[in-house]
Amino acid sequence: MKRLSSLRCLALASASVAALAAPALADQSLKGVTLTLASQNDQFAAVLAEMAPEFEAATGAKLKVDILDYGSLLTKTTADFVGQTGSYDLVTMDIVWAGQYAENGYTVDLTDWIARDKDEIDTDDIYPVLMQALGQYDGKQVAFPFAGYANVLAYRKDLLEKAGLGVPTTPEEFTAAALKMTDPAAGVYGFVANGQKGAAGAQDWMQYNAQMGGAIMGPDGKPDLNSDANIHSLQVYKELFDKAAPPGAANYDWGGREESFRQGIAAMMQTWSVGAPGYYDPASSKVVDTVGIALAPSENTEEPSYGVGGWGIAINAGISEKQKEAAWEYIKWMTSKPVHKEMILKGSGSFLRKSEMADPELKAKFPFLPILEKTFENGDGSYRPRIPEYPEIQDLLGTAVNAVLVGDEDPKAALDAAQKEALDLF
Amino acid sequence: MSDLSLPVPARALSPLGFYQRRRWFLVAMAAPALAYILVVAVWPILQGMYFSLFDYNLLKPHRTKFVGLQNYLEVFDTPANRAAFVNTVIFTAAAVTIELVLGFGLALALWRDSRFNRIALALVLVPVTITPLVVGLIWRALLLPDFGLLGYWLAHWGLSDPRGLLADPHSALATLIAIDVWEWTPMMALILLAGLKSLPSDILEASRTDGATGWQRVRLIVLPLMLPAVLLALMIRSVDAFRVFDSVYVTTGGGPGNSTNTLMLQAVKEGLQFFDIGAASTLGNVTLLCIALIAGGLIAVIRRADRRANG
Repeated sequence: MKRLSSLRCLALASASVAALAAPALADQSLKGVTLTLASQNDQFAAVLAEMAPEFEAATGAKLKVDILDYGSLLTKTTADFVGQTGSYDLVTMDIVWAGQYAENGYTVDLTDWIARDKDEIDTDDIYPVLMQALGQYDGKQVAFPFAGYANVLAYRKDLLEKAGLGVPTTPEEFTAAALKMTDPAAGVYGFVANGQKGAAGAQDWMQYNAQMGGAIMGPDGKPDLNSDANIHSLQVYKELFDKAAPPGAANYDWGGREESFRQGIAAMMQTWSVGAPGYYDPASSKVVDTVGIALAPSENTEEPSYGVGGWGIAINAGISEKQKEAAWEYIKWMTSKPVHKEMILKGSGSFLRKSEMADPELKAKFPFLPILEKTFENGDGSYRPRIPEYPEIQDLLGTAVNAVLVGDEDPKAALDAAQKEALDLF
Repeated sequence: MSDLSLPVPARALSPLGFYQRRRWFLVAMAAPALAYILVVAVWPILQGMYFSLFDYNLLKPHRTKFVGLQNYLEVFDTPANRAAFVNTVIFTAAAVTIELVLGFGLALALWRDSRFNRIALALVLVPVTITPLVVGLIWRALLLPDFGLLGYWLAHWGLSDPRGLLADPHSALATLIAIDVWEWTPMMALILLAGLKSLPSDILEASRTDGATGWQRVRLIVLPLMLPAVLLALMIRSVDAFRVFDSVYVTTGGGPGNSTNTLMLQAVKEGLQFFDIGAASTLGNVTLLCIALIAGGLIAVIRRADRRANG
């Protein structure tokens, strides 16, 4: 009997491997091809590397995954594009790099290939906001989405209950709840966000700013950093930092922020969904039983809009046609329903398809999927402007926001100065 | 150098005299080093000078244009760059001065050759062996006000701003200077100790026989004789401190506001985040110029002091 059942397991396993291979090429037509992928060191990176042998089994092509931190990824891939050295066939692209990619034609425009293979890809199953934000710019599809992250509200059920509050749904409720739950004597703070100078501080504020009705770019396509709405939101943000955040938050980056939440000193924070599984891990989290994940608060409750971020995957325009075709096969294989689901089960934290939100196995493992579904359905991927000048604008905002948070400067003066410098970029 | 361009017919080699052959041999021996310096130092510097004359961004190659010296004229137009220059100068001056004073004291304390001193010296040198980046990470973790080992108590007892030493614009730069002092004072002490050990012992013994007190010996004999070693240590540390990057990058990122921004931080940001090669080259050249001035000034002083000390 035992023997039989293990045989049966083997049969099942090989059947599932066959099923995985089915959407891509079941033959070995790409034998002899080696693809090199430059991947951001997010949770998906290890999964991509782990699953490379499955791609080889399905198509015959080898895949090398080069895992890099954010700074190295940007530097190395940009050098590769500019120098046209073709070291990387595939590159993971942060949502905010789309403008640079499009302006310089670094990567293959995938529009025609997507149209050609739309049945195979099942384009309708992919969230439009991800397809758009993680790859489209100026009418070009410079990358294909594969890792959609949702901005969500992580909160402590016990602390909200103790304060007699429900989960906040608007920025006003959020601010009020944060102030009410703060009790420095007990070591509890209502709110935490990144305050550190640079990308960390800029990105978190842009998120809150968008929710409070602010915008970085004006309707004319020029920066509008010192609009009244932005100044107001920065004032509120400073008040939250002064009265409701752990004192060190003004110098937190993502690591400090997440740590303060997992250590239980912060009651609420907005964060990327990719970190959510970590709160349920008793090895690193003191809030396993009390954490809740909810939709981010939104100013407009009629037509809410939630922050979306994540990564697309792009094909280097400077490689041979044969390599490009093979790279495209990889993208289709990796984002296909069974493979992408397996990636999620292996802990990639990267979502893409509508069918994933309804999948019973995924639903059982990740209780927060309905929140992601709602966020992706009403997602906004452009609250951080995806323009070629983004790095400079982010830096100006990072300095201005941080200067305000530590009490150096008044919000209006800081944003006025940033706006003046931002206009020089255009 | 001019010898390099002389034509060397193979047949003519043998009739050359011994000294000429020797000279050719030495030039040939030095050639790899010269070639290396040309490739890794001179060529990049020349390229940096060339690029600094352009408005040139890798991400916007079609917008490249020649702008002459405009990058230099505008280099201190932005508050970030101005703050970077001022902070770098303050950082260098303060850190190196404190390191010199403490380092000298440490060197005097370790002067006498004993088993204890040898062990102590080895232990004192531990901070020097840690990469500056890691030093930054260690201190950042220690000084976090919410759960850092030191920062928590400093904030608790009201010794630091509740936001922590590194997030308070008034204390951030001073904290970074203190971290630099922690890391590099032993290095300073080591250079000075080497100087102390090479002092002529006859003069010191003579002064002792003549009844000079300890302080008199230090002030009137050791200090003047040590001047070359002191200036050497000053130069090594100043040049190094002026291009501070790692420890600042990981602790404050140049914040709060611009209060710990430094020239290297700004140059790396322009070059590797914005890919603005023109602006980055300009900042790099300005830094290079400052370092050359510091080094040149100190070398001139060393020469003069040396001449005076050695007659």
